[in-house]
Amino acid sequence: MTGAGEEAGGGLLVLGTRELRLLGDETVLEGLERAGIEVASGCRAGTCCKCMLRADSPPAASQASLRATLRAQGYFLACQARPTGRLRLHSSEAPAPVETVVETIEHVAADVVRMRLRPAGALAFRAGQYLDVLHPEGPARSYSIASLPADGHLELHVRRIPGGRVSGWLHGRTAGDTVRVRGAFGQCFHVADEPCKKLLLVGAGTGLAPLLGIARDALSQGHTGPIDLIHGGLEPSRLYLRDELAALAAGAPQLRVHHCVLRGATRREHEGALDDVAVRLAGPLGETRAFLCGDGEIVRRLQRTLFLAGLPSAEILADPFLPAPA
Amino acid sequence: MSLYARLGGEPAFRAAVDAFYRRMLTDDRVARFFEGVDMEGQIAKQKAFLVFVTGGPGEYTGQELRAAHAHLSERGLSDPHVDVVIEHLGAVLTELGAGTEDVAAVAALAEGLRAEVLGR
Repeated sequence: MTGAGEEAGGGLLVLGTRELRLLGDETVLEGLERAGIEVASGCRAGTCCKCMLRADSPPAASQASLRATLRAQGYFLACQARPTGRLRLHSSEAPAPVETVVETIEHVAADVVRMRLRPAGALAFRAGQYLDVLHPEGPARSYSIASLPADGHLELHVRRIPGGRVSGWLHGRTAGDTVRVRGAFGQCFHVADEPCKKLLLVGAGTGLAPLLGIARDALSQGHTGPIDLIHGGLEPSRLYLRDELAALAAGAPQLRVHHCVLRGATRREHEGALDDVAVRLAGPLGETRAFLCGDGEIVRRLQRTLFLAGLPSAEILADPFLPAPA
Repeated sequence: MSLYARLGGEPAFRAAVDAFYRRMLTDDRVARFFEGVDMEGQIAKQKAFLVFVTGGPGEYTGQELRAAHAHLSERGLSDPHVDVVIEHLGAVLTELGAGTEDVAAVAALAEGLRAEVLGR
């Protein structure tokens, strides 16, 4: 038979080794339920998002109400999906750990090292996502990725936390050491859906890591809209990679880098709370997309202040760094 | 046709939920109930509520509402707060273009949920 399966619906679901042919006009949700597979669901009308699944190339109609980062990762609403061809569903299992080898480790601030790790196996990621770094004795901590896949390495910025097991261990690594990681996770990454969009990147401390990755990612994907990157710290000595950011901005007229400190500002920094400075520098927020990264409390304040100042909630991509469980 | 559909469905409600949530955060009468709350999660819930009360798709059971608000009773959630929410709900729908009859119908529906929200 030729062409019969290519009309609306009738697609083939692939789950692991199992294949499931959809009948008639049924949705992915209906097909899975018919096959006895449990899928969370709710409104069955594309609103509640309970039936969200992930696949390679889901039908556009089943992604329409999801934000850009979810669409880019293949998330879709099963109750709205009527694929016509093959649809390979992703499992929701955690990715397996990957071994990496330390290429370089250098101090970029008094208590911050920049580590470059070369993965021994495949590790898919987007700049701005985070990895779980696995300490040999078990505890894991999350670190955001400052590099692009094209760089060939994973770059992490690690602040040494007093008494911190994982940060302390990482600070003691040298080139050639093995570091196991798992990932990548997170929704804080650039999506090239609107090349002219105003981007606002605000981060505190090592929140610079994901922002650096996202800025470079946006530029490499041809983003033409204005990109404002604001890096905040307690005082000027806590800021780092300033020369590198300046060089990046020098080569990209759409990128502007700003620095902000709570105290001790010189003429090279704005002084004040990061959220106040961000609102002042950002201008009108109605058409802006913002990436907010760093200490959890600071990110929450940034989210709130910018949202109240007009930033649409759907355009807020936050990556709050939370302290390790006690 | 539901009010939800008549007002523009999902795209219209995305902006409406933001407007509604901004009102909650800046109204001193109810703002404290939103302190320390995860914004993204809360907005998703507000959206589900807004869609539901305007006849849009979705399930919203009385038990869910009751359970979701139970901890707030301890923090003093009471009738005046529900009044404030219904007030802002009306204002946001009016901004979206709803007429007075539609707003009254929604307010009545929301009013019917008062007991669940306040754990009565």
